[in-house]
Amino acid sequence: MSLLRNVMQTGFRLFPWSTEPGLRAIGQPDSSSPVLVTGNYDFTVRSVIRALKGMDAWLVVAPSSGINIWCAAAGGHFSTHQVVSALKTSGIEDRVTHRRAILPQLAATGVEAREVSRRCGWKVRFGPVDAVDIPRYLARGAKKDDAMRRVRFGTRERLEMAAAWATPTAIVVGGVGAFAFSEFALPIVIWAVVLAITMFQFYDRLPEPRRTLFTLLATAVAALVVLCIHGGPSTWAAAFLSTWFLSGVLTFDYSGSTPIEGGSHFAEREWRISLDRDRCQGVFSCWEVCPEACFEKQSEPRKAILAHDDRCVRCGACVVQCPMDALAFESTDGQRIAPETIRRYKLNLLGKRTVQS
Amino acid sequence: MSSLALMRWLESTPERYDVGMNILTLGRARRIHRAVADAAVSVHGTHVLEIGCGTGSLTAKLVARGARVVALDQNPEMLAIAKTRLVDAQNLRWLEQTAAEVDQFEPGEFDAVVASFAFSELSRLERHHVLKSARECIRAGGLLVIADEVRPSGVFARITFAFMRVPQALLGWFWVGSVSRPIPNLVEEITGAGFRIHHEQRFLFGTLVVIVAQPNP
Repeated sequence: MSLLRNVMQTGFRLFPWSTEPGLRAIGQPDSSSPVLVTGNYDFTVRSVIRALKGMDAWLVVAPSSGINIWCAAAGGHFSTHQVVSALKTSGIEDRVTHRRAILPQLAATGVEAREVSRRCGWKVRFGPVDAVDIPRYLARGAKKDDAMRRVRFGTRERLEMAAAWATPTAIVVGGVGAFAFSEFALPIVIWAVVLAITMFQFYDRLPEPRRTLFTLLATAVAALVVLCIHGGPSTWAAAFLSTWFLSGVLTFDYSGSTPIEGGSHFAEREWRISLDRDRCQGVFSCWEVCPEACFEKQSEPRKAILAHDDRCVRCGACVVQCPMDALAFESTDGQRIAPETIRRYKLNLLGKRTVQS
Repeated sequence: MSSLALMRWLESTPERYDVGMNILTLGRARRIHRAVADAAVSVHGTHVLEIGCGTGSLTAKLVARGARVVALDQNPEMLAIAKTRLVDAQNLRWLEQTAAEVDQFEPGEFDAVVASFAFSELSRLERHHVLKSARECIRAGGLLVIADEVRPSGVFARITFAFMRVPQALLGWFWVGSVSRPIPNLVEEITGAGFRIHHEQRFLFGTLVVIVAQPNP
């Protein structure tokens, strides 16, 4: 049953899957056990529980509309409000004597730590990006190492994203294929899976123009296969049409579903993080929450340095968390989006929020 | 069309929220807001707390009846629209907060607490907390008025309801990734939190309800 759920939730990763918000006891927690907060995306909740096996902890599941943490935080579904609400209503306040909660680091885009503290008295800390690191993080006295701070996008994560894209795409093209050229439905579905896996493993390693290159390569492979099997005109048509459709869908501005390229919309790529060195007091909350490790610490004078802004994915977490308002988004033509706007309109300049600023 | 599965989608673009809500409820939203305002505001100066005011369509009706209103919502974009709509209103305070924060008010501070299509957006635990807190901040003899989507009683109504809901839920799911859920036992939840039901009014085959309740003495 759990296996089936894992398969379904991997294949349909792009869709929300909610579980009941509330309090979960892991092991035999007591009044001093750590309190972890997550969203109500079923896959996430089960992953966190699995990661915490053998430990004693409280897990507060906040309502995030059944959406994963990073997407929900960036899209306004997992914000200060949901965390405050969950801490107040889950009953955790009667179970523990302390008021320290650990949130997933990727929630930093949406949840303002200082606001949570002001509104309900809980001190919020951003833990590791990945739930599997939680035991090690707690064992180190709630301190992250560099690896815990960065989003991983290795072979495994790439395969997961390939499955998430291949499943709905294969259903659509396979469905259309079954009507239009029924004998090609199965090969097209297989082709969809192969292209999705290839795309997610290699796309960001291709030189520009990637899209054209990927489509040309895919077309060449499809042509080669049709030549080898001595296909007739309908085979050629099916091969080309499906290849172009699949290449189009799979390579279309997929950023936002992967941490490879920054910004989900074309317009957002124009914006850059700017760091006001005079305002910076070396609190290093930016360094703590950046999922791409764009910041470095300078000790004399104590300031943050935006050392790797080429890696920035424009999640806005650093802007949201900086207590000195030293960070903001700036565009190449000199426009500026103030931190307050980013915090308020949650968060990564989605759609018309860019216009409003 | 009893279900409000598209509510979340409408919320994502607040401008069409009011129009959309009315279409989705086949014109009942406006009538329901009237019913809520009529029930909640009996005399000029009634002190009302509105939970989840959205774009302020109910707020406007409360203010028009002479109530002093505290309106809260967690969505800054919706609040911005509500504020422009009622820019000249007196005796009106806006709060950008979650429903769970209604526990901040003084005991007996309000004559009435109202919520329109806000409870179905909350989890069961959140509703429980909000109802308990409302119980505290409503004065003795005051009123709780809740309008929301519920699961209809009666086998026939339920089957019809389920059929109508499926396409809408799918649309909502694809568009915004979430679906509003009708509350299965709203009356029980309200009475369980220390209220007694004064009366209830059903709309649209029993799928929408306005419940007027009073805190138990």
